[in-house]
Amino acid sequence: MVSLDAHSLSARELNQAIKKAALTGSQITILNPQARHNIAVGILDSCKIDIDGSVGYYAASLMDGPEVNIDGNAGWALGENLMSGKIVLTKDAGASVAASMRGGDIVVGGNAGARAGISMKGGTLLIGGNAGFLTGFMMQKGRIVVCGDVGDAVGDSMYEGVIYVGGDIGSLGADAKIIEPSETDLIELWGLLEQSGINDRPRFRKIVSQKKLYHFDNLERLEMSAV
Amino acid sequence: MVQASSQVWSQQIIDDIHAKADLGRYRIRGFSTFQKVTHFDDLTFLSTGLTRFPLEGYKEKCSTQVTLGARYASEPLVLETPVYITGMSYGALSVSAKTALGKAASMVGSASCTGDGGMLPAEREASDKLIYQVLPSRYGFNPHHLLEAQAAEIVVGQGAKPGTGGMLMGVKVLDHIAESRDLPSGIDQRSPARHPDWLGPDDLAVKIEQIREATDGRIPVSVKLGACRVTDDVKLAAKAGADIVVVDSMLAGTGASGEALLDHSGIPTVPSIVMAREALRDMGLYGTVSLVASGGIRSGADMAKALALGADACAIGIGALVALNCNRDIPEADFESEVGVSAGQCHHCQTGKCPVGIATQDPELEKRLDSSEGADRVANFLNSMTMEAALLTRSLGKGDVRSLEPEDMVALTIEASAMARIPLVGTNKVFGWD
Repeated sequence: MVSLDAHSLSARELNQAIKKAALTGSQITILNPQARHNIAVGILDSCKIDIDGSVGYYAASLMDGPEVNIDGNAGWALGENLMSGKIVLTKDAGASVAASMRGGDIVVGGNAGARAGISMKGGTLLIGGNAGFLTGFMMQKGRIVVCGDVGDAVGDSMYEGVIYVGGDIGSLGADAKIIEPSETDLIELWGLLEQSGINDRPRFRKIVSQKKLYHFDNLERLEMSAV
Repeated sequence: MVQASSQVWSQQIIDDIHAKADLGRYRIRGFSTFQKVTHFDDLTFLSTGLTRFPLEGYKEKCSTQVTLGARYASEPLVLETPVYITGMSYGALSVSAKTALGKAASMVGSASCTGDGGMLPAEREASDKLIYQVLPSRYGFNPHHLLEAQAAEIVVGQGAKPGTGGMLMGVKVLDHIAESRDLPSGIDQRSPARHPDWLGPDDLAVKIEQIREATDGRIPVSVKLGACRVTDDVKLAAKAGADIVVVDSMLAGTGASGEALLDHSGIPTVPSIVMAREALRDMGLYGTVSLVASGGIRSGADMAKALALGADACAIGIGALVALNCNRDIPEADFESEVGVSAGQCHHCQTGKCPVGIATQDPELEKRLDSSEGADRVANFLNSMTMEAALLTRSLGKGDVRSLEPEDMVALTIEASAMARIPLVGTNKVFGWD
């Protein structure tokens, strides 16, 4: 068990200390994070990190493997480009949570700002509260689950992947459509909520790509696969 | 004299309208702009005479080594020649082409750059020094690969298509490319224009710090800009903490772009460099933040002129591809039947039907490019650029390309004088600035 007081360390010193401790798979506790940016960046070894307080931008980003619990709020881009592992945030996340995430799980206990799950390429983003506009913008793969409401332009230009919304939908983005989730989908989702300590059982709606923007409407002769 | 045909409604314009009338959208092509703009040919060096003496042009020592990104990085990028291979994606280019470029750069002590679509293992293996791009799409981005890189380059824009993301037509998005980018196979891929995790310059500052944290501050962090509002953009990138700023002009190349952007956005290379230099000088950071120029660099003479205007190094794309055999009438190719134009006229990278195996994912076409021989040709070209730049530098009486300066040149046209901020030949006047 390693305890690090962020108050007395620069971001570089803190991250290097985390990386060093992570090499041995230690359990790491970070005290006094003071909502600073770039805490727990680039941790590529499996370990457990508890952050006791709010964090700024890019907390727990560019990671592969760790399990991170943050007791507080987070700024922009929490868990950006997560490859694998799990991040649990107890309160609210700023914009671009899980941006370009490629795998693993991110759980936001409160609300999330704009562009939640933007450019997601895999994994699961679960938001216990509401999410802002452009949720799932240009999403490529993976799953976003919003228990509350979402803002405007949800799922805009998404390629694949799926967005579930338990509350109201501000508006759909370009090329997104709402379909009915299957009972299997709902059972799986409710199980996910139970695992995450969320007691609600919303009747989710499912948003997927219409796939009408996959291709240009027309191609020049040489742009076609067969001349 | 009255012209024989309309100068406004030329045959080319008429053909273009016919094509759009059939197509119903903007047209797409590769290569670079077809606009004629002020360029390095409009500048000339003032080699030595009686007022100063030259170095032996062919033999005497002339240093070409440059160091980029020493502002904050503990391991800056040291290049034996002030030119590296710019970012071009695996997807736009074949594996053989990417590998050849990396190998060629290694042969001359320089670097290559990944491009959109992530780090190709074969390219990593072939490249002693590899710059890892952080693009808005983040296709294939992997923090493990970041740790293997010798520099990171955050791409804000590209000169060939500033203000938009990359483009890869469905004919090139085969299964292996789609898988590496987490995209559906066969789609006409249009990459994001904005980064997913930051928007403005204050956010960029935090993003740059994030890259530094992930890499323990070892490698330089570069910011690549499509040259438009160069003065403000360079200042903001420098203020955000960039170690290197790349200014990519409207003359830069691409594998695919909307023609409207290629020909009608951005500014030329010459004023881009000068504006960037002055922006850094205004901030007291000229010489601290490294400046890289790209777009239309075709020779060692162009490179020397770019350095004289204020760049620390150049990046090349099309020049390297031409050395690799782009637009060469090789025996295996039949340009007319395969892409409808003769060798030397091809700009059809977006079609994936590259007759010389460079800009393609077709395994049969790729066989036309021998990666090893291609690497030799590109290395030869890079060496020729280095020797040309050294030749000119010596002729100016200097023994280090880093000593090149604006005073070494005059402009051949009024426009070039104004853009380069150097006197028009035969006058003492810098047009637009006196």
